[in-house]
Amino acid sequence: MFGFGTFTYDDEGYRDCSVTGLRVHRSAEDMVKLFGLTAIVALLIGGIFAIFVAMTRWELVGLLGAGEFYTYLSIHAWNLLIFWMIFMEIAVLYVGGPYVLGRPLSLPRVAKAGYALMLGGAVTINVAIWLTEQPDQAPLLTSYAPLPSSSWFYLGVVVFLTGALVAALPFLATIWHEKRENPGKTLPLVAFGAFITAIVAAEAIVGGLITYVPTLFWRIGVVEHIDAAWYRQMYWIVGHGSQQINLLAMISVWYFMTHVVGGAEVASEKVSRTAFVLYLFFINMGAAHHLMSDPGVSAAWRVWNTSYAAYGAVIASMIHAFAIPAGLEVGRRKRGEGGGTFGWLWSAPWKDPGFSATILSIILFGFLGGITGVMMGQMQLNMTWHNTLATVGHFHATVATGTTLAFMGLGYYVLRLVFGREWIARPVATIQPYLYGGAMGLTSLMMMYLGILYGIPRRHPSVMDIPGTEFSFAAARPLFVIFGVTALLSIIGGALFVVVAVGTLLGGDRYEGALPVDRPTTVADGGGHDDTPHHLMSMRGTFILTSIFLGVFVVMWALNWYLLSQLWQVG
Amino acid sequence: MKSPIDPPEGDWWNEQVNRRETIWLGLSGVWAVTLFGWMAGWMQFGEQNQVGETFRLSTSAYREKVEAYKQAAGEIDAGLVPPETDVYIGAMRYAFDGLPVVLETGTEYLFHLGTYDVQHGFSVRQEETLSKQLSLQMLPGYEWNVPMEFDEPGTYHVVCNEFCGEGHRTMHGTFEVRESVPDVAGGDGSDGASDAAYDGWFTGDARGGTTSNWGGSPTDATDADGVTVTVGPDGEYVYDPAAVRVSPGTTVTFEWASPTHNVLVEASPDGWGGHAPIEDEGFSFQHTFETEGVYAYYCEPHLALGMKGVVEVV
Repeated sequence: MFGFGTFTYDDEGYRDCSVTGLRVHRSAEDMVKLFGLTAIVALLIGGIFAIFVAMTRWELVGLLGAGEFYTYLSIHAWNLLIFWMIFMEIAVLYVGGPYVLGRPLSLPRVAKAGYALMLGGAVTINVAIWLTEQPDQAPLLTSYAPLPSSSWFYLGVVVFLTGALVAALPFLATIWHEKRENPGKTLPLVAFGAFITAIVAAEAIVGGLITYVPTLFWRIGVVEHIDAAWYRQMYWIVGHGSQQINLLAMISVWYFMTHVVGGAEVASEKVSRTAFVLYLFFINMGAAHHLMSDPGVSAAWRVWNTSYAAYGAVIASMIHAFAIPAGLEVGRRKRGEGGGTFGWLWSAPWKDPGFSATILSIILFGFLGGITGVMMGQMQLNMTWHNTLATVGHFHATVATGTTLAFMGLGYYVLRLVFGREWIARPVATIQPYLYGGAMGLTSLMMMYLGILYGIPRRHPSVMDIPGTEFSFAAARPLFVIFGVTALLSIIGGALFVVVAVGTLLGGDRYEGALPVDRPTTVADGGGHDDTPHHLMSMRGTFILTSIFLGVFVVMWALNWYLLSQLWQVG
Repeated sequence: MKSPIDPPEGDWWNEQVNRRETIWLGLSGVWAVTLFGWMAGWMQFGEQNQVGETFRLSTSAYREKVEAYKQAAGEIDAGLVPPETDVYIGAMRYAFDGLPVVLETGTEYLFHLGTYDVQHGFSVRQEETLSKQLSLQMLPGYEWNVPMEFDEPGTYHVVCNEFCGEGHRTMHGTFEVRESVPDVAGGDGSDGASDAAYDGWFTGDARGGTTSNWGGSPTDATDADGVTVTVGPDGEYVYDPAAVRVSPGTTVTFEWASPTHNVLVEASPDGWGGHAPIEDEGFSFQHTFETEGVYAYYCEPHLALGMKGVVEVV
């Protein structure tokens, strides 16, 4: 497809991947290319709008006025939080299903129909936001009723969500056919993760349709009234649910990439799979943390859902936080690349952007995104986070740093293994994940500080000058300088990825299958492999790293509660 | 080789789990229980819990409640003095009705939070220490009653932190906490015959709130060729002058001095249309009034705050 690829297929449409050992069918490969490239276009659009958003909030530059700011912010949000993510996630599903199982993609026409709907919806949403006119307001990500947005916007959302649901069907059909043909065979871990991702995605999308269809009817006047509390509760099924798709897809990518590039093995099938099942039952309640400071739900509802989510989903995330580095540690020790406590890390292919992006994604997601997510999910702490810039910092740590880096890492290997092209500008590709991850991590951290320590509200084009009052947030000015500079650096880092990706597609050499580490498949088949069971291998490096993580977690948690305890009495 | 992209072999469910991974599972479990236990414990023993009764009522019903409260409240220079320990705040695009208000340290007040139009945020911070801040959601159709008690005197700033439209960033209010507050009797809503002017347009009996800069008589400009009305001077929600008396053929210039206002016409003898689009500072428009009579107008976003005006042509 597109003529960008260098591979040829046999008569049945298959080819053998020399790196992963997977048997890949063209029907899946074409769709992975289509969805993956569309995702990169969305990344480009959202990234361009990020420049305007960040340079408005950095008031030293103060690029946009209020009206334009909200329009640009809305386009930035929808393209990066929704389109870049969901197009990429469909590609991840097709990798996790047909690729890993060595099957053709079932129902390829349905996949194309889903793509057409998603693309149509995405274009409609972007155009509707761009053409917003009073009394309609830019929707931002949330389009909180009863503040009206363009009716075309709501229609676009319904079409896009329907498209995403349709595009997930071929994946589920592929799994169904696999299980029918091989009823006794267990799904590989990555396919299992993708399967759970698809179910969580379907829940989120159905929730989104239940929200947006009535909202569309309300906007065009068919329904008289829309309840604000109902809207919030329903909206967050998709609003946060879509970000849970990111989480699960990202974790599946972590298992996939650490294996393909780093030679990781599965530390324990039982533990990792149990963690995915925990997500299936509990992660959807993570959405409840958007309603922690709301009048519409009772205190019991809030505490129950926070605790339920804490028990289920937080434990699942902490399991993956251990299992993935442990898999890497064990895998590398087994192939003789891991002496001492951290030898398996020192010897890792840090110059490979696929590897470094994945590892940075794991670290930054955990330390910045995961910890803050739990903080604001504690009912009382939520008061100090709610709708401040710190919330924006949280989801830039999870989505813009964690998931985006993981998808960039996968993207590098899609270029090699799917398009069969070697990266151009190798040194640029090598530094890109570090530049992007480092700068975006700092940007997120600044937003968290600004929100928690200065109470800077989100969604304001200016806080240094509030019309009609002497009061302002001028004390936060120095932090905004760091924010502005690091935001610009992250945008440059993101742009470099797009440059390398597009340049590779257009002018990359044929990829010859050389990896910086021994190919896992070769090692697996080779004679000198260490067969020690995993429970007897040392995981001490991982244990030290995760203990540091838990220590930081506890300290951050205590600091947040200390800040809260300094407030006046509430309730 | 246990690859995540190959089906696991053998009895993978019963394979032993590494000792360190097992310890980590235990630590994670203990941590999750701690997180929950602390939160539940803080509900009992902590001083900051955003809980309170919620009532469903229409936005207009809530607006009437706030209006009745304001009538009963006393007033000093710094703002309203609540009659009892109830404090009503009605959020609207783009102002907080009921603010500023003056409160006492050591008294538990019941904050009534609601809105007149769309969703808003009640984000409060101490002027001196910005890190002492919290946010509560305000929803149309709901009244949330959250008790609060303040120990530290000072000025507390409220900003809206839920996007409510283009003027969102301008939405700001304050309340002041003092060691003690004078006992001020509430007004009865009408103070003097001058309120009857223009059919009571400037009082709370007409649409919207009471006009704060209405002095009882219009500014006389019958000798002038042109008159300027300032829209939102110094960020106050008024037209200055509130009422102006001119001769036929006088051109009136409306000049915006703060953002997010418009001029909608309540009554006009000749069908004058005002200026409906919401404009920001720097905008101005003119109209030459030919027909005799009273032209009553108001600002749509700030009607509830009494942002009303009159041009009287005699």
